[in-house]
This record gives sequence, structure tokens and C-alpha cells, in this order.
Amino acid sequence: MLSFLRILKFAFQDLWRNFSLSFMTVFILVLMLLSVNTLWSLDVLTKQAVEAVKKQIDVSIYFVPQATDKNVNEIKAYVEMFPEVVDIKLQSKADVLASFREQHKLQKEALDALDELGANPFGPTMVIKTREPKDYKKIIEALDVPEYESIIEAKSFDNHEDAIERLQNITNRIERIGFGLTVLFALISFLIIFNTIRVAITTQRVEISIKRLVGANNWFIRGPYLIESVFFTIASVVCTIGLVYLALRWIDPYLAVVLPNGFSLTNYFYSNMLMLFGVQALAVLLLTVTSSALAMRKQLKV
Amino acid sequence: MIKLTGVSKIYATGTPAVRNLNLHIGAGDFVSIVGQSGTGKTTLVKMLIAEEKPNKGTIEIGGWDITKINSSDIPYLRRQIGVVFQDYKLLPQRTVYENIAFALEVAGEKKHRIHQVVPQVLEIVNLSHKADSYPFQLSGGEQQRTAIARSLVHRPKIIVADEPTGNLDSINTEEVISILKKINEFGTTIILVTHNREVVNHLRRRVVTMHAGEIISDEHDGKYKL
Repeated sequence: MLSFLRILKFAFQDLWRNFSLSFMTVFILVLMLLSVNTLWSLDVLTKQAVEAVKKQIDVSIYFVPQATDKNVNEIKAYVEMFPEVVDIKLQSKADVLASFREQHKLQKEALDALDELGANPFGPTMVIKTREPKDYKKIIEALDVPEYESIIEAKSFDNHEDAIERLQNITNRIERIGFGLTVLFALISFLIIFNTIRVAITTQRVEISIKRLVGANNWFIRGPYLIESVFFTIASVVCTIGLVYLALRWIDPYLAVVLPNGFSLTNYFYSNMLMLFGVQALAVLLLTVTSSALAMRKQLKV
Repeated sequence: MIKLTGVSKIYATGTPAVRNLNLHIGAGDFVSIVGQSGTGKTTLVKMLIAEEKPNKGTIEIGGWDITKINSSDIPYLRRQIGVVFQDYKLLPQRTVYENIAFALEVAGEKKHRIHQVVPQVLEIVNLSHKADSYPFQLSGGEQQRTAIARSLVHRPKIIVADEPTGNLDSINTEEVISILKKINEFGTTIILVTHNREVVNHLRRRVVTMHAGEIISDEHDGKYKL
């Protein structure tokens, strides 16, 4: 216990007496964490944007006016069997007519033409949503069979196919580039941090050798550096949380305009705070401890 | 106390540093080891504090064969031998008091014991008034006296001083040597590695002369010969 308290005392003495070096180490760690959080936020935003676009895509099946409820329900039951399908909305003939009238209430000619016909010319409509845009093709193909040809008048999916494919490609590309950038950045950060800590330890090479010569054991020498690593981790993560919080508070009102459903990056970070910063704290701790252990290995051979 | 038997050390570069050293130093001796640069004096000091291991032979200190020492036991050996270097080897960011206390702290000594011992050794080297000064605020002689005070805190039976006066003027040299003599009077074995002819001749103690890694003379009440 006495030794631990002394190691703690030496660690904080070193931190204070090498204030500029300690400050620089924390500063670089904060820069690295800010970059990681920026990439993370971009990833979250991209996913949100893609989700928002995906939600706006659906496939509409237009039935012929003669289609009966039995026909429609049979196809609905068939479509529901697909695990890719997440939602089906049915509009009866009357609903479709009402919707048409509402949409064209200012176009007298259209309403007159409708009245001229006498009977409701519309068939029921089924609006299907799937998990992924690529799943629509499967549903369309499943409905593209001779027995449904006389019941289904049209399918609106064809109009979206290109857009969906393009979106899928963009999403995949963004994910690949984002991953590559993250890996590259992590590597650069590791090298920067490793060298910063190595420089810090090299400047204290003489001190380490003196400690050895007066009979300090390895843990007495390593201990303060380990405590310093923990301190660097806590200080950098706390600073990063503060800066990220301020940045999100500033950016959220702008995001609210762009993204629907009131998505808030601040709320996202709040609800995932433990995981997000826990992972970052662990990574930084591993980085600093490994760096100091590697840098010290040579100095301890006195 | 210290017994070297057939000790040889050849560095990885192939350079032989010391060859077939046989030396016995008794408890309470004051031995000066002299010789030109590169004759293996510092290698001998390094082997005594287990900073280097001999390729051949044995080194016994108080019956403990330190040529077979485990790395985990080295700190314990170093707490039993006080070492003083030419460049003082003080921790620059610690005060005189803290530098001396550090040697006790690493050994797990209790606070009240540290508060008791440090002022005592500062008194021995006449540095009580400089306890709160940092090394850069001290003269060379004061820094060396701090290093000697630090080497005394464990009440070692042996003190190895490697060129302790190498960076000092004659007044400070005299002061440092008189402190070493005083410590020797308390019964501590002193091994003084030096180039300083005047110091050795003035001491009139045992002199071991080294040349090309070998001991060429070992005289009680000896003089600097080279």
C-alpha cells in the first residue's frame, strides 16, 4: 500500500514537473479522439440519411377494379410470408377514390371526368415496405406470375429500381471508404502517440537509470508511467466528451432541418455514451500502456 | 567482504575489458583503484553493482555470489552498496532532500524513518542548509556530497566511488575525500576509483593499480605509480 501511494505520488510529481510534455500528450490524444468521433458521427449520419431515403421507398401494387377483397387478401397473405417484408398497407377502392378526389379537388375537369364514369374506376392498392431496397426485386418477381396477371394492373417499383441501386452502391462505397479512413487514422494515431510517449520516456532515460542504481525495482520505475498512462486516458477522454458535447449542441439544430423524424446526434451520443467512450477509453489506455511498456523496455535494462 | 576470483569480462564487440582479476577486499578497507582510461576500472565498478556480468570467474560480496544474481535481486544488492559517480547522478527534478529520500522510498522505508535518516546523512555531508535546493542550484562539490549522502542512507557496508572528484576543484576534492575517510572510520569499506594522483598519495592507503584490464600491483600504504 505504501509503495502504491509512493508510485502515485511520483506519477503526479512527474506529470506536474513535466507539465508541457504531459499537456502535449493529452492534446494529441484529444486530437486523435476528436477525429475518431468525427468519423463516427459521419458514419451515423450517413446511416441515418440512407435509412431516411430507404423509408421513402416502397413498392405499390395496383389491382384491377374488378379485383375482389378475396383476391387482394390472398396476395397480401402471400406477400406477408416473405421475411423481408416489414409492412403492408392496403387501400380499398373507396379509399383510393377518396384520395384521388382529395388530391384533385382543385382540378374540376378531372373530377367531372370521374363523375362522368359513374362507377369507381380504381382498384385497390397495396403498399409494401421491405427491410432493404434490394428486397423489392424479390417481391416483384414473386408477384410476376401468370395467375396474378389478371388481378394486378401495375407495379410501381420499376420507377425506383435505378435510384435504389445507386443508393445501395453509394452506401457501400461510403462504408468502405469510412472503414479504410478509420483504419488509416488509427494507425497514424498509434504512431504519433507511441513516439510522443517514447520521447517522454527517452527524456527521462537518465532518471530511470538513476532510479535503477539506487535500488528501485522494475515496478517502482514502471508504476508512475502506468499511472500517467491512466491519467492521460482519463484526461483525454473527459476533454473529448466535453468538446464533442459542445460541437453536437452546435450542430444539432442544423441536422434537425436536414434529417427527418427529429434525429439528434446529441441524443444518439447520450444513449450510446458508455459504449462509445468506453471503447475509446479502452483503446487509448491500451495504446498508452503499450507505448510506454515498449518505450521503457530498453531503459529498464540498466 | 569482497572477493573476485579469476574475473574476466569481454564485451559483445570482442573488446576484453578485464582479464583474470583476483582481488580480496576486507571489511573496513579503504582501497584506491587507479589506472589509465580504458584499463577496466569502470567495468570493475559495474560488475560490483551487477550492471555488468563477468564472462568468467566469480564475484562474492559478503559471501553472496553476485555473478549468479537474479535480475529481481539486483535492487536489493544495490541497496546494500552505496555508489557515487563522477557525474553525481542526481534526479534533476527533485530537491536534495527528495533525492536522498528517494533511495529509502524505493526500499519501502516508512515515512518517519525517512524523516529520521535523511537529516542525519545531510548532517554528515554538511548539507542540512541545502535540503530544499534542486541539483542545478548546487555547486559540483555540493552535488557530489548529496550523492554521497544518498549512498549512505541504507547504512551500506561498502561504498563504491567511481571518480567522485573528477569534476571537482581541489577544495571540493579535499572535502569529498575527507567525508569518505570519515565514513571509512565508521567501518564502511570504501572502494575509490580515481585518476587523481594527489588524492591517492595523500591518502596513504591500499592502492590497486590496473593496466590493460589486469591488476599489475596491489600495495598497502601505496602510491600512484603510473
